[in-house]
Amino acid sequence: MRLIDEIFRAAESLADETEILYASSESIGADLKQDKIAIGSKSRSSGLIIRVITSGKIGVSCTDNPDSWKQCLTAALASAKFADPIDWKGLPSPSDIDQKPLAYDDRLTLNPGLVTDLIERLKTGSEAHSADITSGSASVAWSEHTIANSHGLHYTAKGTQTHVSLEMIAGQSTGYESDSSWNLDQIHPEKTGEDAAFFAAKGQGGEEIQTGTYDVILSPVAISQLLGAAIVPALSGRNVHTGRSLFAGKIGESVAGETISLIDDPMDPRGVANCAWDGEGMPVKPLKFIENGILKSFAYDLRTAYRYGETPTASAVRAGQSGAPAIGNQNLILKGPESDVLAEKGIFVHDLIGAHTANPMSGDFSVELSSPFFASDGELQQPIRTGMISGNIFDILHKITGCSTEARTLGSMIIPSVRLSGITVIGRG
Amino acid sequence: MSASYRYYDIRRVCGEVTQIDIDNGKVEQAGSSFFDKAIIRVLGEKGWGVFAVSGRETECEKLSDKLLDEAYSASQVTNVNIRIQETPSSIHPIPALKENPADVSLEEKVAILLDMYKATEGEEIVSRRINYIEKDEQVTFSDCLGHSYSYDLCRCGFSVMAVASRAGVVQMGYERDHTISGLNIRHRHGLASQAAERSKKLLDAKPARGGVMKAVLDPELAGVFAHEAVGHASEGDLIKEGSSILKDKMHQQIGSPLLTIVDDPSLPEFGFCPIDDEGSETKRTEIISKGILQAYLHSKETLTSIGNGDAGHCRGMAGVEPIVRMSNTFIENGDATYDEIIEECKSGILLKGSRGGQVDPGRGMFQFNAEYGFLIEEGELTTMVRDVSLSGEILQTLHTISLIGSDLALHPGYCGKGGQTVPVTDGSPHLLLDKAIVGGCEID
Repeated sequence: MRLIDEIFRAAESLADETEILYASSESIGADLKQDKIAIGSKSRSSGLIIRVITSGKIGVSCTDNPDSWKQCLTAALASAKFADPIDWKGLPSPSDIDQKPLAYDDRLTLNPGLVTDLIERLKTGSEAHSADITSGSASVAWSEHTIANSHGLHYTAKGTQTHVSLEMIAGQSTGYESDSSWNLDQIHPEKTGEDAAFFAAKGQGGEEIQTGTYDVILSPVAISQLLGAAIVPALSGRNVHTGRSLFAGKIGESVAGETISLIDDPMDPRGVANCAWDGEGMPVKPLKFIENGILKSFAYDLRTAYRYGETPTASAVRAGQSGAPAIGNQNLILKGPESDVLAEKGIFVHDLIGAHTANPMSGDFSVELSSPFFASDGELQQPIRTGMISGNIFDILHKITGCSTEARTLGSMIIPSVRLSGITVIGRG
Repeated sequence: MSASYRYYDIRRVCGEVTQIDIDNGKVEQAGSSFFDKAIIRVLGEKGWGVFAVSGRETECEKLSDKLLDEAYSASQVTNVNIRIQETPSSIHPIPALKENPADVSLEEKVAILLDMYKATEGEEIVSRRINYIEKDEQVTFSDCLGHSYSYDLCRCGFSVMAVASRAGVVQMGYERDHTISGLNIRHRHGLASQAAERSKKLLDAKPARGGVMKAVLDPELAGVFAHEAVGHASEGDLIKEGSSILKDKMHQQIGSPLLTIVDDPSLPEFGFCPIDDEGSETKRTEIISKGILQAYLHSKETLTSIGNGDAGHCRGMAGVEPIVRMSNTFIENGDATYDEIIEECKSGILLKGSRGGQVDPGRGMFQFNAEYGFLIEEGELTTMVRDVSLSGEILQTLHTISLIGSDLALHPGYCGKGGQTVPVTDGSPHLLLDKAIVGGCEID
């Protein structure tokens, strides 16, 4: 690509190493307001991130106008001036990586008919229970990104993504569901619609619950929010080395029930955006964070690994306004003893209100329940009107007594429903 | 084809964002990035067509027919007739910057922050971090009715985090300040050391006990309460969709007669909108007046469709279509003093600071979390507690406000809705709630 070569030539004499990430995308979508499509949308964008490293000092800048790459390069070089140097061991060299796209479905074109069809399928599914649509959406997107560096690494991948969501209400009972995939066969708008309608319709007429200690079944949506609030940050090598992780110094120790494992498997076929390399062009591989309850490893991008003398784990993701890589995960998978988590009596919780307000450092939380039900005999029974659950997210890893056989992909997590014992529920009864 | 649209507007936002990250004494990042995004909205025969493109594509003076055609073609999937009404369009002046951050070099900003960083030092402090962000935006807008405006706005601010640890207990102190009035990082050692002191004090704080009790909210947390419990539920788009419990409640007494809640985008605070993002003038909207619901927050579309309230509350991120949003939301002063409120509470809990909150406006449930609190026993503050949250039903809780202080203070922050994050302020005086559902990690 001419632009990329031009930038490398310009940067050659100004920095030891240069990395370029160029991405472009297009999308179309439709928004439901009540049961009618009120908005049709399209987008077209591109972006350029330039990172330079000189004597262990890292500078980065990005722009959404690739024509103004000179301004971006100048800003990247300027930012390197102020960065504290680290013992930098180099950007990755090219490796013999298969660049075949892993999340691309050529049927997902930017065809408005596809979007209106997804909307119709959502609506059809929603008719299974008596509730009203308040809003919803469907979209299809296409993207391509190239990562290249001055060692000759040059990888390109294209990808597709489709997403649906639906919000419904019956009386004062709300239901929300969504689904995403790169593959048209793996998105299920009928089920999304049916589930949103189920939680709205069946959540009506709930009884208050008494404060006490209960067995609680958290849906994949609910448990993924709690994991994201405290466990995922505690596994970041940067937090470990800067005194912000309760897991620091605990490698080899028990941090979860002995049947619980937490792994990042970037190539798991259930992933929504699998790619053979991470945000810095490192070939990805499975990373065991917790295996049978024992803490095994942390996640590192290049910068953090080099700064603290650790081994990079290809855990860089690109997000945020600066374009700099950050530590993340690709497909975080929670595994535990499989069982019918609804077989015994318990409280099922579909969603949480305010999970992001948990204490990210200590893991303590108390949050309001959304769509809670009494469950038994494998089914959701009576709805519960309101309630809070409280506890500690790190303790929850020890309280998992069962995981559903089916797992759900939610962004960068693949998570089952989990059954927990001894959870505090604060009721208003 | 362009002749078939009923309305169009275009909003372009371009600028520069500067970020500095000082983590445990090391400058991890200090630099700038650039953005230039545009959104074109067209009202077709039925509904909206919106098209997001690079701002560069819209550079020519007159909007090209080609871009309008693309936005129009996006509207072809719509199947509901949307109407909008004209609204007054005028722009408030941008307050002058006390010190323009653009005039201060990156080098000097880094030096100021490194100096501020020293104030976070202390025994038992194991982690310290300072983040600075500065966003300079140039906004230009025009519509088919001949309205056009442009303005430059700079928002900047910083956050300080300190983590203290002792015997396996880890606690965090966090302070931040964001503003539209210019560089705000000079002489802020006080705020930085507060974060460190808080993290240490939290090591000795007791876990809160959950249950139903009287609660006093400090101005910051009461502001989040106003935002989460009332602000979102009064947004015209949610009312129109039927997902707010404030639907069909207009002119009804929905809360304590002491309670007046306002959203005012024209206030020159962090949520300031000199004009809204669809070209409507902005002004003070009294959502609740003496406990009676008086107005919803509106866009041109939701005002046309359901009335009751003011347009001028429609905001979008750069390159994204605007939706109904809050800006500067606050509870008006009452006449109680802080001492009277604590004394009147007698036995309960004082909640201070905010770790954020969330609301389900259709169900009418909200939740938010305080950074810390104090037990109130016999009308006096006693033990410090941590990890204390409050949740409840909007309509019940608004009636339980029994005293409102006279010490209104606004706090800057950010609010997320529909995948978009916009700058806001929330504020309130101290409040006494007679019956609050407090969540804590211990129960009786």
